[in-house]
Amino acid sequence: MKQAKKKLLLLPSLILVFVLILSACGGNSKGSSGDGDKGSGPVTITYYTIDSPDRTYVEKLIPDFESTHPNIKVKVEKAPYEQFDSKLQANVAAKNAPDLTSHFGYGGFAEYYNKGLLSDLTDIMKEDGFKASDYGIQDELMDIYKVDGKTYGIPFSNYVTIMLYNKDMFDKAGVPYPTSDYEDKTWTFDKMVEVADKLTVRDDDLEKSQYGVDFGWGEFDMRPAYLGVKVYSDDTWTNGGKPSETYFDSPEAIAAYEKFMGLIWDKKVSPPPAWSKSVSGQFGDPFLSGKIGMSIVGSWGLASQDQYNFKVGVAAVPYSGTDAPRSVLYVDPLFVLKDSKHPKEAYEFIKFLISKDVQEKSIELSGGTPPINDQAKDKYYNSFAGVDPKEIKNVYDGANKYGVESFNHLVANYSQINELFINEFAAAQNNTKPVPEVMQGIQKKLDKLLERVNK
Amino acid sequence: MSNAVIEKNPHVTIDPAKIKGDSKRKMTIGEIIAFILLICITFTMIFPVIFMVSTALKTSKEMLQFPPTIIPNVFAWENFKTLFTNDEIKFGILYKNSIIVAVVSVIGTVFSSALVAYGFSRYRAKGKKIMFMLMISTMMLPYPAVMIPQFILFSNLGWMNTFLPLIVPTFLGSAYQIFLLRQFFMSLPNELYDSGKIDGCSEFRLFWKIAIPLSGPALATVAIFTFIWTWNDLLGPVLYLSSQEKFTLPVGLAAMMSSKFRIAPYNLLMCASIMTTLPIIAIFASAQKHFTEGIVLTGIK
Repeated sequence: MKQAKKKLLLLPSLILVFVLILSACGGNSKGSSGDGDKGSGPVTITYYTIDSPDRTYVEKLIPDFESTHPNIKVKVEKAPYEQFDSKLQANVAAKNAPDLTSHFGYGGFAEYYNKGLLSDLTDIMKEDGFKASDYGIQDELMDIYKVDGKTYGIPFSNYVTIMLYNKDMFDKAGVPYPTSDYEDKTWTFDKMVEVADKLTVRDDDLEKSQYGVDFGWGEFDMRPAYLGVKVYSDDTWTNGGKPSETYFDSPEAIAAYEKFMGLIWDKKVSPPPAWSKSVSGQFGDPFLSGKIGMSIVGSWGLASQDQYNFKVGVAAVPYSGTDAPRSVLYVDPLFVLKDSKHPKEAYEFIKFLISKDVQEKSIELSGGTPPINDQAKDKYYNSFAGVDPKEIKNVYDGANKYGVESFNHLVANYSQINELFINEFAAAQNNTKPVPEVMQGIQKKLDKLLERVNK
Repeated sequence: MSNAVIEKNPHVTIDPAKIKGDSKRKMTIGEIIAFILLICITFTMIFPVIFMVSTALKTSKEMLQFPPTIIPNVFAWENFKTLFTNDEIKFGILYKNSIIVAVVSVIGTVFSSALVAYGFSRYRAKGKKIMFMLMISTMMLPYPAVMIPQFILFSNLGWMNTFLPLIVPTFLGSAYQIFLLRQFFMSLPNELYDSGKIDGCSEFRLFWKIAIPLSGPALATVAIFTFIWTWNDLLGPVLYLSSQEKFTLPVGLAAMMSSKFRIAPYNLLMCASIMTTLPIIAIFASAQKHFTEGIVLTGIK
């Protein structure tokens, strides 16, 4: 009995302790949040991005913006790449969504659009008299993030797919450099294989072996597009990224994948995955170790070129022999989220970020983000010491002319599709299963997946 | 002498009288094999650590070399300096924040869990078993399941971008640690409490002066677990903290390699990893003796 009484005394004291802790904390936080959201004072907008130097450079631009826009304050929120989506999700659920962001994480534009997260900017832009040409944005690039003629995102960076090549390796093998000119139709896929063969050294010794080409043109589902093979039905692009049909087991698609896998197992000019893994170590890209002659990559590969242990050049992605697109574009847009209380102010900030001066500044601050603004592009072409600016310009012009926006931005539920491909396609990459069998397996699983997620 | 002969000539016939020597010889061979095996295993275990230290001391060009060097050509000790002086990493602030969060969480968890565990082990009450089962069953909820509701709660409390969402819950006990401590408290003999009561101790003093001092090993275990968990926690800080001044080490480390577009500064990252593992090693080394101390026995006599 006595015990129980003592216990009863303990309870209130405990509660008291917690109340004290909670109240002390509550007072603390009031000062740090919720300032300037109401009334006539300046409005605060939140820009949500990835916590890495090539994304957070925006912070350094804010003082400029705030001095020219005294009624708007910009706050930057950030998360590491891997956690970007979960943090955004939690914030949206808590009605605490940022005003401005992009598809920086795993999800693409289609995912944001389908979840109804995006604001339609059309009216604000019309009211303001927005003209893409004022900001040097090509109309085709502006159209990427339009659905039914309504604008849901304004592009701000223009990554493309390029071919990087190891100049030292070419010199050593006495092979002339590939062209950067997209109009030169003699630079074909077959020619590339021929050149790659001359660069390849097949040796069991990892230190001596090297390969001619690594054909990383987009994600796996994208590759057939390079050979003019359709894998998603046309309605995908008008239907919020939801394909009614996919054709990954069509004879054309299988032939395309066999052609790409043939680089590894038939022509033996591309590295098998196991070799790449052991050579690239923690960096994930064997090209960086100087063991690959030509590598088809996103133009972000240029950003670190000053760290390479070899000289690097840029070339055009070879002509596939059809009218199919030759470059995958990764045009990143800025979105105003639907829950934003200050869409107009967020739109002002977008306009600031795509203006010529700021785009030029961004190249330097970010360490090589390609501007969307054509007026700032010269500066970009000239910002890679040791690489001929004219070649970069050629490659960009050609890529934008012959390019297609990356499927990962446009197909809904892309992260699941991509994961399925990575898991299933490994068998074809490792040559443990014939390509047709792998593709039939993928098609079956994909049908099920799409049926489930695209209801 | 005779042992040496046998070792040199394995085909010698064994005299039963020398059986002792023979078994000794077998032991040594077995020991040698075991020793070699242990060295191999140790090496495979320790190799990542060696490679971490080696990468930490490489220049950014050497970091990309193939084949990789184990002993750097040039020891880039300045990497450590860069780590602390770099404005984008702000390593000192990350470190300070991590220590604050971890230390307060340890205090909170140890105190609150011990209190609850003491109650569960000492008192009889109606529905105690059900309450205990309920508490234990919360261990089965994965974090992502409670993530969003918790986030909404803390966001409505206005605790965003403060350490509160990370710290306050630790003062409300942790099911696993309560379970651990309850098992330990149950093993304490009742005689101890009885003698305390005879001396006129209040209930809280019984807890504070008898149960707690006798639970060194259990409390150290709880403290170390809590420290390691909060020290390594990434998702919590990512969700609740948003400004550089509040980030903890795991967020900073994740940010260092989160660029899709540039080669991560792996040498700096490895420096940071070394600095991050040091406190864990230090705490483990210093608390290890508490694991083995048998205070309970000396307490009864």
